[in-house]
Parts: sequence; structure tokens; C-alpha cells
Amino acid sequence: MQADVAPLASAALLGTAVAALYSRRVSVSLIMLFYSSLVLGLIFTVYGSILIGLLEIVTFAGAVSVMLLTAVLMTGESDLKMGVGAARASLVGAAVVAAIAASSLVFGQVPGGGATAEGLSPTSVIQFIWLYRPWDLLILLMVFASSMVVVVNLFSREGE
Amino acid sequence: MATAMAMVLLGMGAISTSKNLLKTVMSFQVVVFGANLALFASGLSGQSGLVSGSLVFFSIAVGASVESVGLAIVVTVFRKYGTLNPSEIRKLRR
Repeated sequence: MQADVAPLASAALLGTAVAALYSRRVSVSLIMLFYSSLVLGLIFTVYGSILIGLLEIVTFAGAVSVMLLTAVLMTGESDLKMGVGAARASLVGAAVVAAIAASSLVFGQVPGGGATAEGLSPTSVIQFIWLYRPWDLLILLMVFASSMVVVVNLFSREGE
Repeated sequence: MATAMAMVLLGMGAISTSKNLLKTVMSFQVVVFGANLALFASGLSGQSGLVSGSLVFFSIAVGASVESVGLAIVVTVFRKYGTLNPSEIRKLRR
């Protein structure tokens, strides 16, 4: 599975890094950097270092992203102007990702292949986290990332 | 390894050409990502997995600390000069 993940993860990491560095809007750069740190934490997790992967996610996707967002808001560089269409699209995207995550929890298998795992009860979230399944962690991270995009859209000033 | 090198080069290029101090800090974060990935990848190929993991751990901690200090400096500079463009800040200093 690691050989299957490596090219995709590398492409995702480079793509999000390029988007973060060369995007005109600081808010988009911030979100792409958040995704980039999630992907890097995922890479660490898939290759066996769960602790380092989680530390990477908690530190960069958590603390540093919040600090960057605070600095962006304090310096007035935030341009969270997204139209109604983009807000709806992000909500639909979040709903789709949540549906995929729910289906993986119910059926215990990632759609399109990947590591199959034991079936889990949908209500035992803590058990899901401790029974370390890299593809499910990926889906969980995608849900968090899409939630962040939704929150950004909800706090946008225009487009209401 | 190639991905790590590419990220470091991308970040360094963005630092040198950035016209926004916040983007400079973000570019530094990309460089740190590349460095962490390179350290981790070097431990995968050899037998020093524990050492590389420890180095990644320290790199993450140091990188986060440096970024927090950098962001504090950026906010202070903005409050003093009212802009985040390094060229304009140089002009205002004269």
C-alpha cells in the first residue's frame, strides 16, 4: 500500500505547496498550507511513524495554521470574499466528504480500494481512532479540511 | 527525497521573490516541510530510523517556534509601517 500511496501523496504535497506559495489571495494560501501539512502528516503516518505524523498535524495544521490565520486577520490581509455559489459548493463538498467518511465507518472499507479493515460500529469513534487505519485517517483529515473551508465561507463578509 | 528537495527549492525561491512578509513566513513553512520529509526519508532507507524520527521531532518543534517568532515580527512590522511589502518598508525606513 505504501507504494500506491507514495506518488499520489507526493503529487498532493507538491500541488498544495505550489498553490500555497503562488496564490494571489492570502486566505487561499493559508488553506492550501493547511492541506499541505495534513498530507505530510498522512505520509508520515502511512510509512509507520504514527506519532510523528500526528505531531506534524497537531503542530502545523493546528497551532501554526491558527497563528497564521490570526496574523492574517490582524494585518488585514484577509480577503474572505467568497460568493454565495462558492459557499454552497463548499457545503456540498463537505457533505459529500462526510458521506464518504460515514460509509467507510459503516462498511469498513475505502471506496475504490485500499486497506480493508475490520468492521466498526459507527458510534465507537474512539475505537476507530485507536485502531489506526491509514485510509480512514485520510478521510478524517479530509473532513476536517473541508470543515475549515466551510467555516471560512461562513465568516465571509460579502456574498450574503 | 526528490519531493523533499523540490519543496525546499520551491520554498527558498518563494522566500527570495515574495512581496509579502506573510507569504515569506508561509514559504519558510514549506521549506520546513521539505526538510522534515528529507529527514524522514533518510531514516527509511537506512537503519537509523529512530535517529531520523528524533530529528524530525526536533525539527517540527523548532520550525513551529521559529514561525511563531516570525509571525510576531510580521505583526509588529505591520503595526509600525502599515504595510507588509518589503520594498515599501525599505523606503519608509529612509
